[in-house]
Amino acid sequence: MKIPASETIRIAGKRRVYHACALLLAAWPAAAQKLPLGANPPGRTVLIIQSHHDDHTWEWGFGGFIAKLTGAGYTAYFVRTTNDEKDSAVGWGRGDEINHRESVAATRFLGVKDVISLNWRNDHMDSVPIKEVRENYILLIRKLRPDIVMTWNPWGHYDRNPDHRKVARAAGEAAWMAGLANVHPEHRAAGLEPHRVPFVYYTQRSDYGRGHAPNVAIELTEDHVRRKGEAFFAHNNVRGSPALAKSIRSRLDAQGLEIPELGGLTDEQAVEKLQKWSMESWSRQVGEQHGAKYAEVFYFRDEWDHLPGLAKYLRDNVVKR
Amino acid sequence: MKSLLCLLAFAAAANSKTILIVTADAADFVLAAGGTIASMTATGDRAILLRVANDDKNAWDLAPEQAAARTSAECEQAARALGIEKVVSLGYREGELGGVSPTELRDRIAFHIRLLKPDVLFIPNPYAEYVEQLDRHYTGMAAEEARHTAALRNHQPPLAAIGVEPHVTRELYYYAQPVDPRRREPEAAATFVPQPKVVGIEAAFSKKLRAARALKTIQTAAAMRIRQRLESTGRRLPLLDTVNEESVNKLVEIELRGLATLCAKDFPYKMAEEFHYAGPEYQVPAKLRR
Ligand SMILES: [Zn+2]
Repeated sequence: MKIPASETIRIAGKRRVYHACALLLAAWPAAAQKLPLGANPPGRTVLIIQSHHDDHTWEWGFGGFIAKLTGAGYTAYFVRTTNDEKDSAVGWGRGDEINHRESVAATRFLGVKDVISLNWRNDHMDSVPIKEVRENYILLIRKLRPDIVMTWNPWGHYDRNPDHRKVARAAGEAAWMAGLANVHPEHRAAGLEPHRVPFVYYTQRSDYGRGHAPNVAIELTEDHVRRKGEAFFAHNNVRGSPALAKSIRSRLDAQGLEIPELGGLTDEQAVEKLQKWSMESWSRQVGEQHGAKYAEVFYFRDEWDHLPGLAKYLRDNVVKR
Repeated sequence: MKSLLCLLAFAAAANSKTILIVTADAADFVLAAGGTIASMTATGDRAILLRVANDDKNAWDLAPEQAAARTSAECEQAARALGIEKVVSLGYREGELGGVSPTELRDRIAFHIRLLKPDVLFIPNPYAEYVEQLDRHYTGMAAEEARHTAALRNHQPPLAAIGVEPHVTRELYYYAQPVDPRRREPEAAATFVPQPKVVGIEAAFSKKLRAARALKTIQTAAAMRIRQRLESTGRRLPLLDTVNEESVNKLVEIELRGLATLCAKDFPYKMAEEFHYAGPEYQVPAKLRR
């Protein structure tokens, strides 16, 4: 029996057939409650503020949602805060250069208009003052005036990465502080007016303990997931390691097992297939959990959520002009 | 009769407590804990407010210096409305506590704990999630630590040298406005872990409202920001067609009633505030408490 690769991966042996996803992927956290499927917020511009070139393409990343928003007419800008110099096997300078180039290529699959690289030093953001990073973001927010910011969750648990933690807090603050005229009042001299970001989505790695508790699921189509997979693998410098395919295949081989769909492929070709399968499989598992074919889950901060005493009143009483 | 009144007054004074409220900004302690504080001062407790930042950015169409001066005066009025005796301002610039040495901030708060010797501390809950104003988080972290270090002789040696002795604060309230969706989940039951506590504030609501309305600069800025957001998206809130004292006061009342209702949900109150609370038993390991 041939099982389509897009549905599952088959590992065939003399006595056993396994679903390879179980071997490839970390266990999905214990089934949480079914989340509401979120609609696209009204607006035109989305600013994705990330620490690293590939943050948006991971399982917990925003990739599918970015593709969905750009497909619906949003203009998207991607901020790569660090220089990713450590994330490669080719040395610092070249790693930075290649990762930046691949970041541009990857975000194109998702319809992103521009990648803005801030080039802070990779994995060293703990020692950067939050105000300095925050001002970078405030400038961009005032210039681009996004309706949506997507970033790491400032309240996420167990993220060992200093760049994720610093970016989360700096971006979380920038999203609302950019709306206060007395925050960097000098920006007005450059023609930049205050702008509070009305909608914010946070994400957090889900393989680190409790992570965070998402409150919304974003329904994705097969096309969104395919493009997220393309974007994921476009980070070839870090994703395309043939050693991954080689080690999986040799582990299976030792047990008398194989993945028929990978038969005849080189390790380079096999790793691409494995990475895209893993992305498809994750998106499908999350989708099934929340009543959609494919989905991503995030913590959504709605327009008035920062005013808990007024949120309901505003939702009930605001009218069109 | 007169002697009975004297006796009652004496008994009240003997039981009265000293409360130190630590707040990052002029609004947070009012919105999250104002009713509870007003109830306590009404029964004879003495309260002092320690305000860490200066609210120089939370204004509409005012330079930072003007905003700081006005919000400072209004914070004094708000504090008085809650029966708070005195406001001490540390004067840090708003939104910039992330760049302040946590030890410096902790030691300045600990100094006031040792000086005033409070029985009760109110501090921002640094663990409350989705509180976007991170000054509250930094203040909460520093104050939580200060409560601990203020009790230790080996901290801040010059204080003992000038006669400001270490002090143990017996009761601790962590406050936050109800934005954290997980705020009501009980914490782990280990020793020294504060638990959720809901306090009814119906009797003190009018004082809380007066205090929140006294913060005119901050409340007007909030109303203007709402109006500007609505205008920029082709919407309006009829109440804010004109932003003046009357409409801002009405908006503040709606907000306070909204907060009080959210906090009272599932509890036998119409109006409430929420805390994480650690009482005197906090000092005793769980296994020894009985
Ligand atoms: Zn990363």
